[in-house]
Amino acid sequence: MALSGGTDRVSHSMDKSITLPPDEIFRNLENAKRFAIDIGGSLTKLAYYSTVQHKVAKVRSFDHSANVSLQETDGDHLYEISVQEEITARLHFIKFENAYIETCLDFIKDHLVNTETKVIKATGGGAYKFKDLIEKKLKLKVDKEDEMTCLIKGCNFVLKNIPHEAFVYAKHADSEFRFQNTHPDIFPYLLVNIGSGVSIIKVESEDRFERIGGSSIGGGTFWGLGALLTKTKRFDELLNLASKGHHTNVDMLVKDIYGGAYGSLGLTGDLIASSFGKSATTNKEFSKEDMAKSLLHMISNDIGQLACLYAKLHNLNRVYFGGFFIRGHPVTMHTITYSINFFTKGEVQALFLRHEGYLGAIGAFLKGAEEDNPNQYSWGENYAGSSGLMSVSPEMNPVQRARSGTFDMLEMDRLERQLVNLPLLQDPSSYIPDTVDLSEDALAREYWLYCFEEALDGVVKRAVASQRDQPEAVERAEKFRQKYCHKLQTLRHQPFAYGSLTVRSLLDTREHCLNEFNFPDPYSKIKQKENDMALKYYQKVVRSVEELNWEQRQFTLVKGLLAGNVFDWGAKAVSDVLESDPEFGFEQAKQQLQERPWLVDAYNQWIERLKGPPHKCALFFVDNSGIDIILGVFPFVRELLIRGTEVRQQYYWLGPRYMFY
Amino acid sequence: AFPWFGLDIGGTLVKLIYFEPKDITAEEELEEVESLKSIRRYLTSHTAYGKTGIRDVHLELSDLTLWGRKGSLHFIRFPTHELPSFLQMGRDKHFSSLHTTLCATGGGAFKFEDDFRTMANLLLVKLDELDCLINGVLYVVSSGPSECYYFVNPTDPERCEQKAYNLESCPFPLLLVNIGSGVSILAVYSKDNYKRVTGTSLGGGTFLGLCCLLTGCSTFEEALAMASEGESTRVDKLVKDIYGGGYERFGLPGWAVASSFGNMMSKEKRDSVTKEDLARATLVTITNNIGSITRMCAHNENIERVVFVGNFLRVNTLSMKLLAYALDYWSKGQLKALFLRHEGYFGAVGALLELSNPS
Repeated sequence: MALSGGTDRVSHSMDKSITLPPDEIFRNLENAKRFAIDIGGSLTKLAYYSTVQHKVAKVRSFDHSANVSLQETDGDHLYEISVQEEITARLHFIKFENAYIETCLDFIKDHLVNTETKVIKATGGGAYKFKDLIEKKLKLKVDKEDEMTCLIKGCNFVLKNIPHEAFVYAKHADSEFRFQNTHPDIFPYLLVNIGSGVSIIKVESEDRFERIGGSSIGGGTFWGLGALLTKTKRFDELLNLASKGHHTNVDMLVKDIYGGAYGSLGLTGDLIASSFGKSATTNKEFSKEDMAKSLLHMISNDIGQLACLYAKLHNLNRVYFGGFFIRGHPVTMHTITYSINFFTKGEVQALFLRHEGYLGAIGAFLKGAEEDNPNQYSWGENYAGSSGLMSVSPEMNPVQRARSGTFDMLEMDRLERQLVNLPLLQDPSSYIPDTVDLSEDALAREYWLYCFEEALDGVVKRAVASQRDQPEAVERAEKFRQKYCHKLQTLRHQPFAYGSLTVRSLLDTREHCLNEFNFPDPYSKIKQKENDMALKYYQKVVRSVEELNWEQRQFTLVKGLLAGNVFDWGAKAVSDVLESDPEFGFEQAKQQLQERPWLVDAYNQWIERLKGPPHKCALFFVDNSGIDIILGVFPFVRELLIRGTEVRQQYYWLGPRYMFY
Repeated sequence: AFPWFGLDIGGTLVKLIYFEPKDITAEEELEEVESLKSIRRYLTSHTAYGKTGIRDVHLELSDLTLWGRKGSLHFIRFPTHELPSFLQMGRDKHFSSLHTTLCATGGGAFKFEDDFRTMANLLLVKLDELDCLINGVLYVVSSGPSECYYFVNPTDPERCEQKAYNLESCPFPLLLVNIGSGVSILAVYSKDNYKRVTGTSLGGGTFLGLCCLLTGCSTFEEALAMASEGESTRVDKLVKDIYGGGYERFGLPGWAVASSFGNMMSKEKRDSVTKEDLARATLVTITNNIGSITRMCAHNENIERVVFVGNFLRVNTLSMKLLAYALDYWSKGQLKALFLRHEGYFGAVGALLELSNPS
């Protein structure tokens, strides 16, 4: 549906028209409530809370209180799977240029059904300017919120709820983005917000924060001086020029004064002694690129230095940077990172946020949603509906360009239960559940992306099969395929789009995409079949193991563990096998195991240890269903229980923050 | 042996100190080598040398006693890019035949060491610039009358005055901020105990460089003249431009600058400001930034007195008053900004003082 701009002209730049595909950008508008808007100098961020209805597969077990032996219930299922409709609360955030404000407001107004909402929370410098327009179009009263408060609230929220929100930028490393683990305690920290000017804010707790300082040399200075010096009007163009320039032509370096380094003070020759120091003495013209670069260094270094001085005074070692000056620009992130590193002698690292552009909108939204108490829940990023971090570098690849920078989105789903860290973890903040980081390991990344792409056909088929009774299943499954395929493509070119790329995040992404199109668990029936089969076979396995002597038994149990592990849904090899031979035998699996020594082989130490006293406690990390747990893990666990060890099992979900059953 | 010089070769300016002996006896005069006499006459009879050399007569310290000799200390400066001419002159006047020690500090002492040797056959004794700076400051403060001063009511043109400050009775600890092409900030605890806290590349060189690019001027004096006539608030975006007034919650008054050159994001505004406005804005931006960094350093190091030196402040009362005001305002009266009359010459003085050092 194409909408042309209104005839009311708030400003001459206001009437851009744009096509807004209904289910792509402003989604789930019908039930939207709690609106918030953050209007900056050139970008607007709109937030709203809505509900999404989708199918969820629920498991219900039958009553087994009657003495029914497992072997006799032939053909009956041990538990029932039912698909129900569930309502999930979802936060939507959309970012677009101010030029499109009117069009977007019209669109929202047309699709909004809910009339309960009377107020829209607003923040940002532009909130004042567009107040009347918003009130007129949306028929909502604009309630202004303090910008800094919104910023901090938003910052706290993303740091607490989005894994891998913060990252360190390392230009010359294999993986430019190094994502940080969610720290259980995010306070205190320093937030350096670089907009037109700079505000340095110390955040001590959810409600206690203070602007401890700032600087007038910020993004506005870069833009203003840059425009004067290079006659370039647009901010992005300036950065582009800067990325190509050489500041050494314009700046006076230490070596220009000393002929080399200033050794006794540890100042290397390449350090800038005086920004623009060569401009007074040379007669030649400087290129735009060189001047822009000098300017960028000058401003980044200055901000970095001040940030470090404040951090030192207040004893803070977590410093986050945000604001339009940063906006994910690699060149800016690099100069700031360098500056912080220099002025703290490597002790403090500059941290950036994946969603820094949304902080104000999130904060404004939270102010309005205080009744719902969003902080008591855990929220997760919906990969299907979120654009992901886009590198705005000049070498942007065609896939991204097509996707456009016009609209950017973030969606967050409220989780059923609040996530907590596993209580047994020694140091939650340093624990990394993933053994491979696909953002860093290019070879592994290519393998797994390929794996998931190849498996896609199978998943689509399975999805359709799981909802055979529904006519549009085929259509939905096709849409799922396209969406997931697109995500994989994005990840191939931008592995850092959603934080660290891991097998787990690829699986989660797939799950989100499946949920999008109402395929809650395409494998539920298959899993059920597998579990039934495994449970029936269980007694046989246990009995055969008991007949062995002690040494043989231990070895068989270990082999059972390994064999069970071969049954991994993601791995291509197994997918193939499952497709072709549903009656795959556990015995065959064990026989297929390679000979010792295995890749990681601590069996000898294990058997020696077993000869000693029983372990006090054992903690298992396992999947929640399947042949691997029933035929591989259970017999092994049983053995430990017989010996007198206490056993706990942890079900794997969502990484380091587990739901503790 | 005469002549006694102290040289400080900086990024932009060369500072030369010359001790003129006033107690030359008749015998000495007779024995005086021709080249030495000619140097003495040349230096003391001119106040300008070539097109760019200047002797700051008003800074001359007369009736000084140095190592048993009475005389005057002369303060001479010329741009570093004229160094070749200086060396040429040295050669023409056969300076090297005098076999004196030439003490030099500043980066140029290292960078141009070879040039001194090849072009004028002169051997330099290279000295650390910060050592010289501190020694120079301490010496001049105790030798020159009312060397140190501060401002009262800096922003009120009617009531603003300079008042003398007695630094020599208790100089330590102090924060020494040297604003040359770049800036160095030193924490000085005693004559031999100091450290370079930090520095910034946004210094005098930046002010001059940016001014030249923005206004087409070519000298420091021109830039300052333009700045004195301009209005920086047309160029900068103030707090009140964004918030309508002050941002009380964070103690930001409406007149504070929110974004330097922030108004220049708009083409209309860019077209409406004058060169003088731009020069003023550049001056204010650089000065206030130095003030900010200085203030943070003072807090971190727990020092309350800040002494500003360096040639950026030469004939630059605008910056001095800004620094005085900013330091006082943002520290709520805790910090005090002090200034010294001989501004950028202390390194050279310190170099001169090394002549007494037997090594």
